[in-house]
Amino acid sequence: METKKTPFYEKHLAGGAKMVDFAGWLMPIQYSGGIVAEHLTTRKSCGLFDVSHMGRFIIRGGGALAFLQHVLTNDASALDIGQSQYTILANESGGAIDDAYLYRFVDHEYLLVVNAANKSKDWAHLEEQAESFVDVVMEDVSDDLAMLAIQGPRSHDILESIMEEGSLPPDKRNCLTQVKICGGDVFLGRTGYTGEPVCFELFLPVPIALDIWDSLTEKGAEPIGLGARDTLRLEAGLPLYGHEFGMDPEGREIPIYACPLAKFAVSFAEVKGDFLGKSALIRQAQALESIRKGDTSAGDILPRLIRQVVILGRGIARNGDPVVEENRTVGHVTSGTMVPYWEFELTSDGVALGDFKGMRPIALTLLDHRIGYDQTIRIQVRGRDVEAMVVRKNMENRKGPISYAILPE
Amino acid sequence: MSEENLKFTETHEWARLDGKVVSVGLSAFAIEQLGDVVYLELPKPGDEVSKGASFGLVESVKAASDMYAPIDGVVSEVNYEVADNLDLLKTDPYGSAWLIKIESSDPSQLDTLMDTDKYEQFCATQVDQ
Repeated sequence: METKKTPFYEKHLAGGAKMVDFAGWLMPIQYSGGIVAEHLTTRKSCGLFDVSHMGRFIIRGGGALAFLQHVLTNDASALDIGQSQYTILANESGGAIDDAYLYRFVDHEYLLVVNAANKSKDWAHLEEQAESFVDVVMEDVSDDLAMLAIQGPRSHDILESIMEEGSLPPDKRNCLTQVKICGGDVFLGRTGYTGEPVCFELFLPVPIALDIWDSLTEKGAEPIGLGARDTLRLEAGLPLYGHEFGMDPEGREIPIYACPLAKFAVSFAEVKGDFLGKSALIRQAQALESIRKGDTSAGDILPRLIRQVVILGRGIARNGDPVVEENRTVGHVTSGTMVPYWEFELTSDGVALGDFKGMRPIALTLLDHRIGYDQTIRIQVRGRDVEAMVVRKNMENRKGPISYAILPE
Repeated sequence: MSEENLKFTETHEWARLDGKVVSVGLSAFAIEQLGDVVYLELPKPGDEVSKGASFGLVESVKAASDMYAPIDGVVSEVNYEVADNLDLLKTDPYGSAWLIKIESSDPSQLDTLMDTDKYEQFCATQVDQ
């Protein structure tokens, strides 16, 4: 199969990008500045991401809502016009076919954004499911609608400075608006995959895509590749399908509720009714509740949970590295890397970021549910035991517009 | 330090013979391809190494890669300074960013490695992969 190019391909080359094949797309892994610099730029200033490789499906028709309620785990009826939600395409056993974002920009239709690597699988699944519904029209708009993300503290002002009509969504995650930029209609969402409190994703017509790219970069948005996109989401503890969803390193399906974000993506609201995977997900939700209460008997339903860790010893844990206790494997690393961070100072006005402070190795793990926060674990990194600690989070992003590192004491 | 008198492996280590001692480092091409190097794991003096076997680890943000010894021998010196100052890899790959020195009883093992010209041609075939 031929590798596809997004509308921004030439911009990537001009930015000195190193291009790689990602899910059939020729995408920038990094630009000339490198992953570390791009990560830092996004946290302190403003990062611009080409995410046009992701799948974008429009779902409309009289049966659209009933259909979405059936194939997605969240309550689509809770979305007013101008709202979006994190959601999951579940299978009957309570595993994820994919995780996704559902947007309701206008009255009569929904926009579902899915992972590039899962796009054909998702489409086939949705088409098959749609057969049981009357008046559901699905349209793949991935090639007509380009997609950019702009993330980081300065992204609000940069975006505002190029807008011709309309207003930015309120400072609240998942809010949406429609605006005019470069003479075209652009849909804006207060969403993203970096953990940045100030975050936007743009859906824009292809003919004005390059003009918008140029306007944003002229105002100071810096292009960021897939490499830093991964380190940013990992630092924020956000899951990636194929790592924290899908199959675990031992080839078993990861239950959706193993992932802490699941509670924001699954709804058992009465109005939603029955949906794919519901009974399995109810069992998982109950198991998670018992685990929280200290009852370990639910271990067969949720034997392991996704936990964030910080590496205390020397070395970088990578996907697949086992977590060991005595001679037992009690989990695996699902994603691991080294991330850079800024020096910071907490002031009465909030946070002030200083100079580049250093690098720290962090990871996401799928861990025995009996292992709790602040507990020390041992990860086998290339045959050598490296100490790590389970943490609630590796960065703080809920205290104002600037996020900062949480470091082990 | 220039690229003179250097020999290169297909796994992108360089070697420079000085008497019986071989200095070993990573080529500028390797460092450029790795992107940001964030971690180095080096052996200890006295460790035995053998040609083609891993003597250490270099990690970028994205991945870990083994580094392979260009020759059999015993590690006589280790440059831990470069592990603490990884920028040296970019600024002076063939000089102060040497990684280990190996004392070898058979320096002729280096004869099978590539010289600078051959290595440049080799690298040209490695890009865009």
